[in-house]
Amino acid sequence: MGSLNLRREVLAMRRIVFLAFGALAMSVPAFAQIELTGSYSPILYEDYIERGPGSDLGDFTGMPMTDEGRAKALLYTSNLPSTVERQCLAQAPWVLQYRPLGMRIWSEVDKDDKVVAWKIEGDYLRDTLTIWMDGRPEPSPNALSTAAGFSTGKWEGDTLTIHTTHVKTTWIRRGNGIPASDQTSYWVHITRHDDLLTVVTIQEDPFYLSEPHVVSRVFKFDPRANQGGRTICNTANEIPRLEDSGIVPHYLPGQNPEADFMMRTYNLPKEAALGYAESLYPEYRHKLKGVYTPPASCGRYCCGWIERQGLPGAAPGLSCNDGGLGTLNPVVRGKSSDSEGKETPAKK
Amino acid sequence: MAVLALNVSAQGRGAAPAGRAGGPPSARAAAPFDPTGYWVAIISEDWRWRMVTPAKGDVVSIPLSPEGLRVAEAWDPAKDEAAGEQCKAYGAAGLMRGPTRLHITWQDDNTLKIESDYGQQTRLLRFTGVSGASEAGRAGGAGAKTWQGVTTAQWVMAAGGGRGRGGARHGSIKSVTTQMRPGYLRKNGVPYSDRATMTEYWDLHTETNGDQYLVDTNVVDDPVYLQTPWITSLHFKKEKDGSKWDPSTCDARF
Repeated sequence: MGSLNLRREVLAMRRIVFLAFGALAMSVPAFAQIELTGSYSPILYEDYIERGPGSDLGDFTGMPMTDEGRAKALLYTSNLPSTVERQCLAQAPWVLQYRPLGMRIWSEVDKDDKVVAWKIEGDYLRDTLTIWMDGRPEPSPNALSTAAGFSTGKWEGDTLTIHTTHVKTTWIRRGNGIPASDQTSYWVHITRHDDLLTVVTIQEDPFYLSEPHVVSRVFKFDPRANQGGRTICNTANEIPRLEDSGIVPHYLPGQNPEADFMMRTYNLPKEAALGYAESLYPEYRHKLKGVYTPPASCGRYCCGWIERQGLPGAAPGLSCNDGGLGTLNPVVRGKSSDSEGKETPAKK
Repeated sequence: MAVLALNVSAQGRGAAPAGRAGGPPSARAAAPFDPTGYWVAIISEDWRWRMVTPAKGDVVSIPLSPEGLRVAEAWDPAKDEAAGEQCKAYGAAGLMRGPTRLHITWQDDNTLKIESDYGQQTRLLRFTGVSGASEAGRAGGAGAKTWQGVTTAQWVMAAGGGRGRGGARHGSIKSVTTQMRPGYLRKNGVPYSDRATMTEYWDLHTETNGDQYLVDTNVVDDPVYLQTPWITSLHFKKEKDGSKWDPSTCDARF
């Protein structure tokens, strides 16, 4: 009798354990996500010139562009975004990868506290992104394209994977004319590790990219990173002589004076400067060896956005610390070392 | 109550679960993704500083200390060559940003081997189940410092013990490297010291077309030459085989 009771108790205990683990297993999907809510600062330790002071004209390094994309990019003049009709061309959904501003992420939930969407706040050159998590299908290919596009998301472990479509014609990167069509789509992976948020964007464009354009950036959790809710690209006439003139600023094919800027400034070959996909891979160095020579000295942005040091908008820690002299001055730059590493006075 | 406790625990992030036999499974057995194979760096960022050697003194993007800047300004590749130190830019903290292919294999059940064709370097990620610089230091002991240093690693399983909807397992590798010989973060002599540590988070992303990307979120901390940790991320695309593997020797100039 005693052993029978014991067996029943064991069976009952097994059932409880089984049910408990069953409940746990079923509950896993609901919990299989990381809390992303918060404000994040961009870490500008990659592509700093582009993300800080701004891209050089004619700098298409690291880009896999088609001939059509390159031809269109070389029509670009910096007067173009001054026209009202084109001031929002920088407003690509994931342009945050190329900008110096922080972002704020939050979730929107339904009455059962289930996350319906993640939101990534925009800025004055980017609309707020809505990433639908409720399983809704993508709209018809003929549906309206918007500045934010249409995004759906799903969790893959601790990574939020996002697909964005239905975007408008924009530029790629910070804005020196690299075009993206309204057929661009993005796969995005957002993974949080401790206080770091890694954002990987894989952009495809059937017209202007010859292969997916992959960028990975790191942001850092920072309660002070929120930039405020200026989420609309407001347009204003910046060049009165262009107003109502019908003029679209551009260079004619073959006449862009900046087309060889990277070649003459940094000794780069054309394929690298102008975004040929072959230049993205290690084997391209075979073509560079014996051809490339480094510039004799560093003449531009050598230590970051030095002229902004200490001013609002300066990227903390990025400017050269020259030992308290305040600016990147010739005393430091002119110092050299002798063969034993001792400093010698700058040559006059 | 028990279920609640289990759920909370399931959200925690830690080492791989224990094996049925009582002991922990090997790192290879616990792997939530397969990092092995050939991977190529896509140089879509910082091209001018990664694919070629920039001008001396071009330290943009790197938060150097005054001493770091002074040393970078004094870079002399001829001195490195004369000292037999052509591999200074190929140490672990510089290697991962190089224009390289990686060949990743399991050296044994708990050691991941990462070889580069760029400079023909070999990194070993030793899975210990414990992460942190102190552990890496213990693993390295008082031995000589090397270009690739000593790396400890652990699998960090995703929420739910790494098992998401549909049973797929997810997670990432966290690794910490210490014991590095002083080297360069950038080919033009931007330095890191032998006190530098490098923390990495490795994630695998598989696209719907089958493409796979290995992303290395990389934090280099150096109390000597950096004002603040240098944080970047690097992405590698999986290749079908080693047909493009192209070994090159260390070069102090190019």
